[in-house]
Amino acid sequence: MPPDVTEHVAKPTPRTVFLRTFIPWQLWRFLLINLRMLGIIRASHK
Amino acid sequence: MSHVVVLGAGVSGHTAAAFLRKWLGREHTVTVVSPKDTYNWIPSNIWVGVGHMRREQVVFPLRPVYERAGIEFVQGAARAVHPEGDAQDATPFVMVEPSARPGTREKVRYDYLVNATGPQLRFDRTPGLGPHGGHSYSVCTEDHAVEASRALDESVARMQRGERQQFVVGVGHGTCTCEGAAFEYIVNLEFTLRARGVRDKADITWLTNEYELGDFGMGGMHFRTGGYVQPSSAFNASLFAERGIKWVTRAHPREVEPSRVHYETVDGVTDSLPFDFAMLLPPFSGVGLEAFDRDGQDITARLFQPNSFMTVDADYTAKAYDAWSPQDWPRTYQSPAYRNVFAAGIAFAPPHAISKPYTTPSGALVAPAPPRTGMPSAMIGKAVAHSIVDMIRGANGPTHMASMAEMGAACVASAGASVLRGTAASMTVFPIIPDFERYPDYGRDLDRTFGEIGLAGHWIKLILHHLFLYKARLRPGWSLIPE
Repeated sequence: MPPDVTEHVAKPTPRTVFLRTFIPWQLWRFLLINLRMLGIIRASHK
Repeated sequence: MSHVVVLGAGVSGHTAAAFLRKWLGREHTVTVVSPKDTYNWIPSNIWVGVGHMRREQVVFPLRPVYERAGIEFVQGAARAVHPEGDAQDATPFVMVEPSARPGTREKVRYDYLVNATGPQLRFDRTPGLGPHGGHSYSVCTEDHAVEASRALDESVARMQRGERQQFVVGVGHGTCTCEGAAFEYIVNLEFTLRARGVRDKADITWLTNEYELGDFGMGGMHFRTGGYVQPSSAFNASLFAERGIKWVTRAHPREVEPSRVHYETVDGVTDSLPFDFAMLLPPFSGVGLEAFDRDGQDITARLFQPNSFMTVDADYTAKAYDAWSPQDWPRTYQSPAYRNVFAAGIAFAPPHAISKPYTTPSGALVAPAPPRTGMPSAMIGKAVAHSIVDMIRGANGPTHMASMAEMGAACVASAGASVLRGTAASMTVFPIIPDFERYPDYGRDLDRTFGEIGLAGHWIKLILHHLFLYKARLRPGWSLIPE
């Protein structure tokens, strides 16, 4: 079995984990991520 | 009047055929040749493989769509290209084996050809790999995903009876590509086991040919986050650690036995992992098309690379890894041998690896192959269609470019499917092929390369599932949906 290296890597804080499914925050992220992706699509279609 | 033939009805071929039909007048014909008469939205096979979706939700029949659009359809597998025709007729043709009459051959003549045949799944490269007589599962096709889902159900039932289960997910060979798909599967698997209340009975291990986690066959990527520029390896390691997933990197799986996968690594480790359930992706090659000139002489080597992917306008000169440049990557996807032949999507031969290749002490190659699925695949298909339309209208050569060194990609990797509790890693990368001349520090534009995980990503993934299936069905306004 592979050695357990998981204790040596960064893990999210409870606040970060909470925000990942906190709907008001995620609605905001939804908007921003879509804008970023549209930017990539626009840049790629030039 | 011109006949355009598209081989393959995957993301790239279907996109090319749809735009060809849209842009060409009805005096021209567009024909799609594909062994299956269904379209599979492959990214959602992940959800079929964990039982979140049914097969019918990721597949639809192609014939009615093509009939409505005015695209001719031949159900069969392309076997050979005859770009000079034959002794009787100099019109080029493809020799097709019709699905309804195995063993027979049928000529499909063309003026322009788009090879979008996708990959051949090479389970045979690792003994015991794959669902066809092997001991591991796959999600490469919708049927593979259904099979994986059934096996997962059996494992869950055992865990519900109190048994412990070992899961191994990743690649089945050192030269695999599509690590992103396997990554999606492992985090969805973990999410599903939690949702079904048996996570505490499962040991889950990621087995990969990536030198570092988060390589994805693209040499990894970097994101700005929390005042640092962070490599994707840290992003992925954190994600796995949080979920209690262990990992083995730099591996070449050598053999899959009924409940154990043997591997060796670049670092010289030879070991094995026990499993009750393994989902291991196969390496890819081209589908094995042959080519013949007018006299019947074999000219396969003029059209295809040794891995059976099609030679296009890339620089395939053998060089050291450090000597490759983004300019080596193809722009028009036109065959240098025949001006009316193009390749799109996975079918074109990449000129070199993006991730640095390594070998194990025993000489096995550990080299994640470059991904060319999803967004780039569709964009290449569209660019090829545009060039062919312009050439039919009199242009001297291809007019549209879609170099992976000049385009970005947006990718949403599901990490758990639930409208309120799910998450997905939303990532963008620009350009796909790192360019250290333009972006000396990290090879990519950090203003356009980012990654984050959250529920918003799952919503986007779900919307994209419905949006791209709508587009593939060629419903009203389909062409307004970007690739």
